[in-house]
Amino acid sequence: MPPLRPGTLLLVPLALLLFPGCESHSAANGSSVQTAPAMAATTAPAAQPPSAAVAARDVGFAHTIRPFITDNCFDCHDAATQKADLNLEALAGDAQSVVRQREKWELVYDKLRHGEMPPKDQPRPDAGQLGATTRWLAGEFDRQDASAPPSVGHVAVRRLNRSEYDNTVRDLLGVDFHPGDDFPPDDSGYGFDNNGDVLSLSPLLMEKYLKAAEKVARTAVFGVEPLKPSSYTHQPWYIDFDTTKAVKQDYDETGLSMPYALHVMHRFPVEADYDLTSIHRGFMPVGADPCHLGLWIDGKLVHEGYLTARYDGEMNGLYDKFRVHLTAGEHWIAVSILKIYDGLPPAYGGPHPNQSKERVGKSPTEHFVSNLVVTGPYDQVTGPTAASVAKLYRGQPPQGAVTPARVREIVSDLAHRAYRRPVTAAEVDELAGFVARVQREGDSFEEGLCLAIERMLISSNFLFRLERDPAPGAPRPLDPHELATRLSYFLWSSMPDDELLRAADEGRLSTPAAVETQVRRMLQDPRAFALVENFGGQWLQFRALESHTVERKAFQGYTDYTRMSMQRETEEFFRYIIREDRSVFDFVDADYTFLNERLADYYGIPGVKGTEFRKVALPPESHRQGVITQASVLTVSSYANRTSPVIRGKWILENILNAPPPPPPPNVPSLKEEEIGVSKSMREQLEAHRANPVCASCHARMDPLGFGLENFDAVGAWREKIGTFPVDATGSLPDGRTFTGPVQLVSTLKVDKSDFAECIADKLLTYALGRGLTFADRGAVRHISSQLSADDRFSRLVLAVVNTPQFQLRAPAPSPAAPVASAP
Amino acid sequence: MILTGKHLSRRHFLRGVGTVIALPVLDSMIPAGFGQVAKAATAAAKAPTRLSFVYVPNGIVMNNWTPAAEGADFVLPSILQLLAPYRSQATVISGLINHQANALGDGGGDHARAGASFLTGSHPKKTGGSDIHAGISADQVAAQQIGGATRLPSLEIGLDDNRVVGHCDSGYSCAYTNSISWRGPATPLPPESNPRLLFERLFGDFDPSVSAETRARRANDRKSILDSAREEAGRLARDVGAADRRKLDEYLTTVREIEQRIELAEKSPAPADPGIDKPSGIPSDFGEHARLLYDLQALAFQADLTRIATMVIGREGSVRTYEEIGVPDPHHPLSHHRGRAEALEKLTKINTYHMQLFAHFLERLRTMKEGDGTLLDRSMVLYGCGISDSDRHIHENLPVVVAGGGNGTFAGNRHVRVKENTPVTNLYLSLLDRMGVRADVLGDSTGKLEI
Repeated sequence: MPPLRPGTLLLVPLALLLFPGCESHSAANGSSVQTAPAMAATTAPAAQPPSAAVAARDVGFAHTIRPFITDNCFDCHDAATQKADLNLEALAGDAQSVVRQREKWELVYDKLRHGEMPPKDQPRPDAGQLGATTRWLAGEFDRQDASAPPSVGHVAVRRLNRSEYDNTVRDLLGVDFHPGDDFPPDDSGYGFDNNGDVLSLSPLLMEKYLKAAEKVARTAVFGVEPLKPSSYTHQPWYIDFDTTKAVKQDYDETGLSMPYALHVMHRFPVEADYDLTSIHRGFMPVGADPCHLGLWIDGKLVHEGYLTARYDGEMNGLYDKFRVHLTAGEHWIAVSILKIYDGLPPAYGGPHPNQSKERVGKSPTEHFVSNLVVTGPYDQVTGPTAASVAKLYRGQPPQGAVTPARVREIVSDLAHRAYRRPVTAAEVDELAGFVARVQREGDSFEEGLCLAIERMLISSNFLFRLERDPAPGAPRPLDPHELATRLSYFLWSSMPDDELLRAADEGRLSTPAAVETQVRRMLQDPRAFALVENFGGQWLQFRALESHTVERKAFQGYTDYTRMSMQRETEEFFRYIIREDRSVFDFVDADYTFLNERLADYYGIPGVKGTEFRKVALPPESHRQGVITQASVLTVSSYANRTSPVIRGKWILENILNAPPPPPPPNVPSLKEEEIGVSKSMREQLEAHRANPVCASCHARMDPLGFGLENFDAVGAWREKIGTFPVDATGSLPDGRTFTGPVQLVSTLKVDKSDFAECIADKLLTYALGRGLTFADRGAVRHISSQLSADDRFSRLVLAVVNTPQFQLRAPAPSPAAPVASAP
Repeated sequence: MILTGKHLSRRHFLRGVGTVIALPVLDSMIPAGFGQVAKAATAAAKAPTRLSFVYVPNGIVMNNWTPAAEGADFVLPSILQLLAPYRSQATVISGLINHQANALGDGGGDHARAGASFLTGSHPKKTGGSDIHAGISADQVAAQQIGGATRLPSLEIGLDDNRVVGHCDSGYSCAYTNSISWRGPATPLPPESNPRLLFERLFGDFDPSVSAETRARRANDRKSILDSAREEAGRLARDVGAADRRKLDEYLTTVREIEQRIELAEKSPAPADPGIDKPSGIPSDFGEHARLLYDLQALAFQADLTRIATMVIGREGSVRTYEEIGVPDPHHPLSHHRGRAEALEKLTKINTYHMQLFAHFLERLRTMKEGDGTLLDRSMVLYGCGISDSDRHIHENLPVVVAGGGNGTFAGNRHVRVKENTPVTNLYLSLLDRMGVRADVLGDSTGKLEI
């Protein structure tokens, strides 16, 4: 990447990069949101500018803006035509128009900056004038933002979403059985499921909260209730194997990468023994040695077994059972056929054939593991876990009679953490009262404690993140506990830990340095993986991988193990960027990734053996760089049975370039992709589609980006042909730059770093605030991204988000007149 | 584990653990006599009418749906042929429109609008998040008026995994495509997709080892913590701004509703033994999943746990593939068929498959006796979609069929063509009327449909 020029990125219009001849103008772009605007006379408040300043701006407007839009835009957007309902003639009066109609002018700015307007079939505007226009507008926006009172937006009270609930009860009580799995799914808004506005509370959910509160409290205090053994049968996807394929000479001796292995994730309710029974299907060649299978837990071989086929080679229904002790929680269980070619007749060509003379017409790959039955628990571990005891009592559990003072101490400490703020004496009284009442009724202290905990867990103080609204007028700084809570749910999707809570209690979060110390500590904590799962999973969309459908018969390499490995790759990659505090631009163009043997095979990268994920340098012949070439992203942006340059192009525009296409106009039929690869190449089909000018306005931006990734099929594997047509991976950016293939696409994308910087700033700020961003937040987004030009490490991005007024301040509630839907 | 045949097999489901922990939860909502076989004590009273809405996504191949003739003497086209056994209790209604699903100046997003407007008759506000706004849905109008008579005012069921990411359709929040049932303009009700969780909701998690006394005490404990949590939130609500108060009001309303349910359960007669074991989770097979959810809905009707239900077979814009019936193509792109014979044939297969599963539901209802009739006699089950031809997102001439006798109020064996531009909401008013629910207007309705 070329070195960054500090201070120039923020507002450099894309046009400058398109038209190198304009570079001499870039000096005028030193302005940023916080520095003085370029025009000295414009520092007065926007509302009532002194007349001299108004006059100066009107002159600028009249000299620069009005002629530009008259010449370049009025063909379609004058008062008579008003294409797309945009009447620029009405906006062309004077500079105050940019104040009054800010949103429309922001739109104009975006369209010009991204080269989307004027449309391709129109003459290009003069580059110098275009640059002057976008610069003038950017300067005017900054002037308005700098002089207006800070608009930090109102963050709605937020209910904990499912993963926040799970993490919070884990960190509060040491209970980690994911009660949120039983809750109805959270709706998402603006791309994330932590959006306060859409996180509603239905009676169904309240019922489940009540239910979960009891289960969580009793598990913490008494341990998991003894369970009767029961069984669950996993029936993962299996495929009809292509038996015509030649026997592999170099094969994975774990068998895990082979399509006939079985991989499942199973959540075990309690620590106990479980029977794991693998059930087999298919045929073995007669005369082969017994089938040698392996049972793997979390990537480690824990058991080997042997199955002998029936006389005719049939394996259907044969099973292998093994009892194993497992901790509570989710485990990856796999059953593979070890050394599948070993012991087969010589005709199969494996490395260690047996000496049998017989030869039958069955291929070894016709045998596979079809089901896994999990039965248990047996010999369940009982009693509360050490983690729960520590969280509940901060030491040894009470023995004998518990004094009222000790009861108050225990519930007060719990409520302090559950409500994430100091508790009042009245609150402690009420909670201690529940314990006393249960004891009066003849039950134990522990029963009483359970009820008090249940009470806390259904409290609005626990379920909602409440922040007090300031009086109408100016925003106020968050109090230390509100700030600590915003930080912990942003970075951990969980409650503040003891150290953060203590810092808030002691008023030690008042300086930026103190906040920075906490943020850096929190990013290095394992809980920061929540940022990978929840932020990354929704931004890069790999969370959708599990429910994404793939036509497996057409893509036999896409096994459950492949899918799990794809997701792991992106997770490990993101985790590494956080842990090693790498450049955020690694997301765009990293020349490394994280692979296990399965995925390395998939990518055609030699030398990676085993199930462990490790950092691997991407050689040029892998054609991969950055997240857009990771198989997880390539898969979720495809259909089940084919790629879609449209979806992939849209994905890049939305998630890398920060230029999401508008929704399609009414009653335009979607692109017909059914015939692709059948009669015409994808490209011809899409080009025919773009002949329609209505379609072309957006598809001319999306499709050509997606073409650059056409060498990756619908599950992210490399290909040279689509059907009978050779892949043509040439494409172009909205502004006209062209490229061929994924690596050139990535190089093109990274030329203008400010696009991606603004994109990730936009996404992360949306996630951190739990609300959709508005035009009023654009200054903050530009400011965050500008800081990345001096220091592009991930921690700087997070700190820049944390330091925005949007994150640090609480605005008064919008007036009741605002269009807020009323409850029924 | 497919439920087939004419009766529900008992103890048929896998006794799975999976993620289950069998704690006796919310047994305070289980009346004291539950667990012993207790026949519904409704024989004396007049049997109630049940109302169910079943939604299928992405339109229907209308050529294979709409009968040519009107009146009683019509031939069932291919998709509807599976309804033949229930013909005497089924009415095909053609010509209804769902005008609020049209763009009306909002651009793309027909699928999101079709789902959100189908039962609400309201034009959903185009937004990706804050201020989602549609309208109250027909089922919820009924739930608010007569839902108090049963333990659950209504049931919302759906087959989709709702862990969807991002916007769902052209700038519309996923809330619009996930839910067809809306308690109020800003409150979509998320459907339950997990049969195990639905079962627990209906039948609790009865544990015979817990004594009635203990259970009563737990109900008391629950009421006391709910009561105290409600008071606390009430105090908080006084100190917050309007937007936050809305959230706290939502909390207060739901807490009150749970309290009422607990009280109701204490007074109610025991429901019938469900007769099936708790399902272990979501079956991997689509058809099995659908049949199981239909079965549970039928059981809920039979035990009179609720009288109102909605079921979303697929969310609008669904890209589910149906390899099991030879359609590996994702449904939504396929539905933009451009008139190609092959695509239409595949879509017809999907439409027919959905209808086959619906017929299973009708069969269940028909085999469940109640008093001198069957549950199907007592029910009105509407099956339809907010789009007719998905290729061009047509929201006119919707595919709609109503099955069941509506407690003697709804004649079958008819193909009715309504007057042009009749909103589908007019039909709902007519159905609600038969439920004894008073509603003069619903969304864009223009009057009760005489049918």
